[in-house]
Formats: sequence, C-alpha cells, structure tokens
Amino acid sequence: MKVIKIDKNQWTQGMDNAREHYQLFGPVKIKENYCFAPLERDQQPDMTGVDTVLSPKSALFPQTEKLLTTTLDVSKQGHHIMERASADYSPRAVIGIRPFDALAIELVKLNFDTKDYRDPYWCDAHDATTFIGLAVNTPSLFDFSTSMGSGPFDEKGLDVLLVDTPAAYLAKVITEKGRAFMATAGFDQEAAPGEIQQMEDLKKAAEQAITTQVDTDNLRGKSLLDLHQAPFWEDIAFSCINCGTCTFVCPTCWCFDLQDETKGNNSTRFRNWDTCMSPLFTLHGSGHNPRGEKTQRVRQRFMHKLKYFLDKYDRGTMCVGCGRCVKSCPVNIDIREVCNVMNAYEPQK
Amino acid sequence: MESYTEQIRTLAVDLLKSGKVDVVIGYRRGTVPMATVPFMARTQKQAQELIWDSHCTLNLANYLTNRQDKIGIVAKGCDSRNIVNHIVENKIKREQLHIIGVPCKGMVNPKELQALFKDEITSFSESADTLTIASAHAEVKVEREDHLRGNCALCTHRNPVIYDDLVGELVTEPVLDDPFKDVNAIEAMDTDTKWNYFDDLLKGCIRCYACRNACPLCYCPTCFVDESNPQWVGKGQNDTDIKTFHLLRAFHCAGRCTDCGACEAACPMDIHVRAFTRKLIKDSKELFGWEAGLDISKRPPLDTFAPDDPNDFIK
Amino acid sequence: MMANLLEHMGMEKDRVQFSWISSAEATKFATVAREVAQSVEALGPNTKLVKGSD
Repeated sequence: MKVIKIDKNQWTQGMDNAREHYQLFGPVKIKENYCFAPLERDQQPDMTGVDTVLSPKSALFPQTEKLLTTTLDVSKQGHHIMERASADYSPRAVIGIRPFDALAIELVKLNFDTKDYRDPYWCDAHDATTFIGLAVNTPSLFDFSTSMGSGPFDEKGLDVLLVDTPAAYLAKVITEKGRAFMATAGFDQEAAPGEIQQMEDLKKAAEQAITTQVDTDNLRGKSLLDLHQAPFWEDIAFSCINCGTCTFVCPTCWCFDLQDETKGNNSTRFRNWDTCMSPLFTLHGSGHNPRGEKTQRVRQRFMHKLKYFLDKYDRGTMCVGCGRCVKSCPVNIDIREVCNVMNAYEPQK
Repeated sequence: MESYTEQIRTLAVDLLKSGKVDVVIGYRRGTVPMATVPFMARTQKQAQELIWDSHCTLNLANYLTNRQDKIGIVAKGCDSRNIVNHIVENKIKREQLHIIGVPCKGMVNPKELQALFKDEITSFSESADTLTIASAHAEVKVEREDHLRGNCALCTHRNPVIYDDLVGELVTEPVLDDPFKDVNAIEAMDTDTKWNYFDDLLKGCIRCYACRNACPLCYCPTCFVDESNPQWVGKGQNDTDIKTFHLLRAFHCAGRCTDCGACEAACPMDIHVRAFTRKLIKDSKELFGWEAGLDISKRPPLDTFAPDDPNDFIK
Repeated sequence: MMANLLEHMGMEKDRVQFSWISSAEATKFATVAREVAQSVEALGPNTKLVKGSD
C-alpha cells in the first residue's frame, strides 16, 4: 500500500485538478454548523470542519431524492407511466469523510445492495464515489468508534486515508479508485519511511485517546426475546421526546418514506429520510400501529442498531461509534449506556 | 443553584415516602458535560439522582400530558407556566400535581460556552453565579448572567407562578427596558428583507421536528405535518414546505407560548425558531394584554371571545 | 394575529385581508371584492409560500 505525501501548499491545486473529473463533496460551513455538501467550483473543503452535525450519508442518500417522474398530459407519449428521474452519476469524491462514517457506508451497502435487490439510486451513487477519508488525530469525547468495529485510523470503506500532520497530509492509498483520484489530483510524491512511522505513532496515540469503552461482546449471545421484553426500556425511553434527531444525524440510519407530489401535469415520486421515532413510521392503513407507544419506538431503534442487525448480517453492530446521536439528542439519551445495559442484561428467572 | 439539588432531593424523598405522589419528575445528570436528562423517580433511591444546575433546559410540562398518576414535578418559572397551560387545556389536573417550585436564575447556552474554546469542553462546574468550564487545553471562569440562553435573558417570570413547595428564596424579577427589541428589529425591515431573513433563518432545517416535540404545547395526537389525508404540507426538503411547517407550528402556539426556549435547546441545527413565536408573544401582550400561563382560571385569548377583542384588521 | 405573523415573515400586507359582510350586503361585497382584487393586482403575482414544480 502506497503512502503519498501531500504538501499543504499543494492541496488546493490538487483539489482544483480533481474537480476537472470529479464532483467534489466536502465539509462546508452553513451558518454556525458544518455539513457535507457538493462544493461549488470556487469552494474548497473546509478541513477544520469535518466533524459535522449530520453524517456524510447524504452524499449517496439525499434527505429528499427524486426517484420517478411522469406526465399526466394524455397528449404526451408515456403519460402516467413513471420513469426513473434523471440524475448525475458522473464520478464524485467525498473529501474529509471520517473513518467511522466510511464504515457506516459499508454497513448501509448491506441493505441497499443485496443478492435479491439492488437499490439503483444508492448503488449508482456509491459506484460513482471515491471516499477520501481523514483520520481522527484527536478523538472527541463522544467518539467510541474503537468499541464498534471502527477506529480513528480505520480504513474500511475508504479509498484513501489522509493523515493530518502540520505541514502535509500523508495519504494512504487503499484502493484502485483511490489511486485514480490521487493521480488526477496530481499527488504523487512518495512518503519517506520516517513519515510512515509518524503516521503509525499518530494512530496509536489517537486510539489510546479514546477512553470510552462500550461492551458489545455479549450482545450476540443474548436472546432477542429476552432483550425485547427486558424491563429497562421504560426508563430509557422516559425522557425521549420522539423527535427524529438521532436517526437523522446517524450515519447508518437508512430508512425512507415515499411521497408522490403532483403539480399541474408533472408528477414526481420522492423518497425522504424517515425516522422510526415517529408513530407514523409504522402506522398501518387499517389504523393499527404495532409501535404506537414511545417505549416501543425507542426500543426498536436500539434493538435494530445493536441486536437485529448483528443477528442478521454478522457484521458487528449497526452503530459505528461516531457519537453524533449522543451529542445531538435534546435529552442526552446515550447509546453507550444503553449498549452496556443491553450487553449486561440477565433476565430474572 | 447547586444548593437546590439537596432540597429537591429531600422534598422528593418525603413526597414519595408519604405516598403523596407516585413519581417525581425532575432532571438527573447527563452523561456528558453540560447535559441533563429529564428523569422520573419512582423510588426514594432514584430520588437521590435528582439534580439542579444551569442546564435544566427542557420543559418538564412536556412529560405531564394525559398522565393519570399523582406526580411531583420540579418546576422553574417557565415550566410552571406551561403546567398552568396544561391545567387550563385539560391535559392534567391540578389535584394530581405536587409542584416543587424552583426560582430560576436562568439557564446557560452551552453552544455559546463551547464557542469560548478552540477544543471540546470536557468539564463544567458552577458555584453561586460563576461557571468554571474547562477543555483539555484551557480553563475559563465566566458569570452565568453573561451566557444565558436568549429566552432566559429576556425572562421576567423566573419565579414559579404556581407551586406547593418552594426551593430556596424567590428571586427578584428582572425589569427589561425594551423586552421586544428583537421583534421590533424585524418589524423595522422592509417586506422582502423580512422574507429573506426568515429564509436564511431556516437554512439547515432537517425537519427532525425536535422543536415541535420538545414543546409542551405540541401534544396533538397527530400533528398537521403528519396528516396524510388531507395532506396539508409536503414532507420533503422543499423551502416552501419547511417554511409552512414553521409558520403553522408557531401559530399553534399563539397566546400559549411561554418562551421557555425548549424548541431552540432541542434543535440540533441551532435554528432560532423563537423568531416566529416571539412575534406572537409581543402581539398577545399588545393586543390582549396577555402573557401565557400565569393564571389557571383564564383561557388563552385565541380560545375565547370578548366583545372588546381588537378587530381593526376587519375592513 | 395570523395576518400580523404573515406580515412579520415578509408577506405583503395587502395579500391577506379580512372583511365582515352579511349575505344581505351585496353592494359591500362587490366593493370589497373589487378593492381586494385591485390591491392584490397592484402587488403583482405572488411568489412567496408558493411551491415550485419539483
């Protein structure tokens, strides 16, 4: 695996070279907060703002996405027949994605790209995307990625991993996609052995800086029904106000809702992010709601992340330890605590 | 304010022990600095987890809706006003409640405190009116009064308006020279500037509805944005739909909003949603001489008719 | 208060008008309708709180 050294004074030129062939997504400041967004031609990714409130999942899975369109004008050919909406799937690159967010995309792929079905919108976007990650040198207080199968320098799901040093980015090229991006950007100076050692040292320091340890080792062995019927959910759910913040900021929450909108003769089918915290999420046409109570919904979210997913795919938990939900929750419901409670739970016989 | 913690615990334990209440709703410490969790103590042991500090920002009246049991509840000025609203709107009965009133010195704005630092805040403590905040590289001492949340800085009802027990001494209510300076500033703008101001204000809204759900006034079984037949508003990230949501959410609070700030405290995107409700608070005051949640014997102005209601707007 | 809030948000004042007209007041109805139409025409087509086609 090749490591390339990118002098910081060449970075901007490299980004400008890259955007000749790639549409760039990167962190930008919107009012007081940062978020990942498509970069304008004259806009540089703000590498000081990569720890965004929302995850970069929207680069592949926009909050509102046009899926199908049709016309209701009977004089037009193909009227009333929905066709896939046109979208741009030319090469794109996400600059500055954190390792836990890249792992999240790998996990989301398990849902959108299966043996039986391939979500064309997500998969086409995924195929078109190169992920240029940025390692976490100083992990946040909220970061518990090392407990959840990721880590500050984890490479899963990334094409390139950048490591920030004072004068340069050291770029570990992981995949062919990554190599192609680096070539387009014009980054080709190989790093010296000392610099590779520096990378390893930073990695070790960052991993040690994460002090939050969350236990997941027993989750797999626990009975699903025991956990489902456990008495602690009522207390965990009490403070929850059932907003959708945790699910919207989460890099692995993939659920969506379909909506049709018609104006004049133009009809469009969209998908919008949905949230299992809303009672509407499971409301049946009959009026019955299997998750009509708040506690059932809160339980669903944690059970999906930490148990159902684990049982179904055997790829670890569906939580990557980014800490966003802990940080954004208006009532400080902490998935780390919930995970430990679930992991330690023994039903009363 | 931390001395309140002991008193709250003592009162809560007594209430639970004597069987006067089934549960006590208050706050417990969060898992990260500058966070509290709304918390329901069922046992005397759990009551020892109750706390009081400068981060008790969510409005606890939110947790009373349609409860059937007997409840002890910790209430600062705004919570108590929303408890009054709840009683007036038949969401809870006065007889069910034992209100532990807490005279409030204002809650702080954690985002503003974080902005004082280059790196993440790792610890927070307070004594009297001084806050001590630290990160890995710095420590800062500031006065609480200088870093209050926007609504707390404008609050003139810090003392609970209704209570059965009082923690500490009543505080002096501030008198503001110009309580609606913020609203007046928007009113002074021309039409298009106003429009653009609110356009910009709502940038970043992700429609998570935390503002709505944190609001103790929002207890409808199905919110208008969630209705699908008829569907009042589109559900996607369309600017018009987003603005429509915020406009109507605010208007549903007309004459009822106590400016408790729970909406803004809950917003993950730091949107100043009170810009809408503040106008309604000003109009309630000017048109009806009304402040919400002060009296359990009076219904809010848009809920009643009086012959002298202002009607200049009718041509 | 609704009209005030709309105006506060940047809707033109004359777009939202309220009148009280009895079913017996045909002349008043016609006059008011004309006045409303005139004042709204003077403002031009409304673009605010109007949803585009996508």
